[in-house]
Amino acid sequence: MHWQEETTVTTSEKDITVRKERKIDLHSIAIYIIAVAIFVMFAILAEMNGRSFLSLSNIRNIITQSAVISVIAIGQTMVIITGGIDLSVGSVVGFVGITGGLMIKAGIPVLAAVFLTLVIGIMVGLINGLLISYGRIPAFITTLAMMQIFRGLCMLVNSGKPVAGFPEGLTRIMGTEIFGIPISIFYVFLTYLVMMTLMAKTRFGRYVYAVGGNREAAKLSGVKVQKIELITYALAGLFAALGGVMLLSRLSYADPNAGISYEMNAIAATVIGGTAMSGGKGKLGNTFVGAIILGMLTTGLQILNVPVHFQSIITGMAVAGAVYLDKIKERKE
Amino acid sequence: MKKRMLLILGLVLVAALIMSGCGPSKPKDKEITIGFVGMTLNNEFHVAVANGAKLKAKELNVKIDVQAGDQHASADAQLQIIENFIENNVDGLIIVPSAPEGLLAALNKAKAKGIPVINLDTAINAQVIEEAGIKVPFYGTNNYEGAKMAGKYVAENFAKGTKTAILTGIEGHKNAADRLNGFKDGAGDTIVVVAEQTANWEVDQGYTAAQNIIQANPDLQLFFCSNDNMGIGALRAVQEAKLQDQIQIIGFDAVSAALDLVESGEFLLTVAQYPGKMGEYGVENLVKVIRGEEIPQEIDTGTELVTKANLAKFREEMAKYLD
Repeated sequence: MHWQEETTVTTSEKDITVRKERKIDLHSIAIYIIAVAIFVMFAILAEMNGRSFLSLSNIRNIITQSAVISVIAIGQTMVIITGGIDLSVGSVVGFVGITGGLMIKAGIPVLAAVFLTLVIGIMVGLINGLLISYGRIPAFITTLAMMQIFRGLCMLVNSGKPVAGFPEGLTRIMGTEIFGIPISIFYVFLTYLVMMTLMAKTRFGRYVYAVGGNREAAKLSGVKVQKIELITYALAGLFAALGGVMLLSRLSYADPNAGISYEMNAIAATVIGGTAMSGGKGKLGNTFVGAIILGMLTTGLQILNVPVHFQSIITGMAVAGAVYLDKIKERKE
Repeated sequence: MKKRMLLILGLVLVAALIMSGCGPSKPKDKEITIGFVGMTLNNEFHVAVANGAKLKAKELNVKIDVQAGDQHASADAQLQIIENFIENNVDGLIIVPSAPEGLLAALNKAKAKGIPVINLDTAINAQVIEEAGIKVPFYGTNNYEGAKMAGKYVAENFAKGTKTAILTGIEGHKNAADRLNGFKDGAGDTIVVVAEQTANWEVDQGYTAAQNIIQANPDLQLFFCSNDNMGIGALRAVQEAKLQDQIQIIGFDAVSAALDLVESGEFLLTVAQYPGKMGEYGVENLVKVIRGEEIPQEIDTGTELVTKANLAKFREEMAKYLD
């Protein structure tokens, strides 16, 4: 799927190649078709019900509301491509929020506090990475443990109490608009642009795929598998922390319960985007589309005033449906 | 694959159609739409608040959309719901906040669009309201007064020096502090508090805490539990110790399980709030304010002690809001 063979010997073979390529294209854009279809579906349904879904401000809303999950999902996708998983990101979001909040309340300048919380995120990721790659503890167990440890720490640092009453500087991180476009959209596009380039164009990116595709083969061909894993988890921690800062700024409120189940949403965005849980395969850009699909589902169902409990059911169906489609795709290939 | 994709999309479409209660209906001009943001719809108290609001909306012939966060009461989910309501030009918002301090961003957005807000059940932090710079009327239970009533009942019906244990809610919650202080003030010197512990509003923690308290104070006579859940936990501990005849239990909230326990005599009483009325007052006054009328900035929606004597009447009242 990633590498197209070049075979141009006879005309008949050429035809086959061309046809094959077209088919591949259709498969790889399936996610976009689904996203557009869901958008159109909600637009029509909303119109029929006298509600507004198809508007510039709503599209803005969807991207802003999905921004935190989109950013967290970057790290999650990379980790999943290496064949791992990171369940601790939701707790990191909460921990970063509450520690960052306390730092700002203590008088540390906002940007310095943000920097420090990002460092915290990387540190948590490094602990995950060390335990997984060098300690050989399965990723699921390591990050499950870290999820619990850091949720406990969220409660501990401020005795379970939230932190509120922040200076303007914090709100501005997410609240600023550039030419009428919320700045959070730029954060998302910028982070994706950088990381997609990293994954597609650099040796590091190729190694990430190689580690997940066949760990042993990668090792034998000289890839420093453990180092790659370590870096990937550190990045997952960094993006979780970035998501945490974004959430803190968006709410201007630090809640020790913040980020609960965000890891699940990030995983959902990743698999809707077609990344295989078994590792070695996936596209970062599609994860963004996955996050947007999740965001559209939430927003669309809320706008249609679908009862809360059904929203959860429909979202679950969408996740299962997306993975099912992906499996069919795989079998056909 | 295309067929399957269409099939799945079709299914989701049909599901969404059915659940949105669709039918091609054009919005009428000047029709009032209210956005109701619940704390959660996973417990009957909050379902009753929402249903009260819906009933009133129906009566007044206004449209109401009811949304709430999923299992985790989160400020994030509520902000998102409020943004979506504002996007759809609701004329007013009713908010039952899941985090009293967490709604500054949401209030700012409502203010920017000039959308009036009414706050039910859990008061939004006064400092947050001040910072947002809008008026937010609050209608809810006065927890202090409710607990004080329970305390007075104890003062009238128990002997001086009744050995009492108190299970309180999450530390730092205003409701927890109000209920604790209200009960103590109401009961006065009738009670001797031998133990006071937090069980975080939970059944299982109430159970464990009560076990330990009974262990340390085998001559205990009364449990005041700041909510029914903790009371249900305490009851299990009391039953286990076979001390039902010696220890009485008072709960708070009047959830249906607690009403059953009042009926069977296992709870002495529970303090009832009127969640349905909160919803009704909310919608009634929000419609008024949208139409430019003056409304009260604060309403105490009232509390009542539910004992065996008035149980039937209270159940009838509640049934209106829970179907």
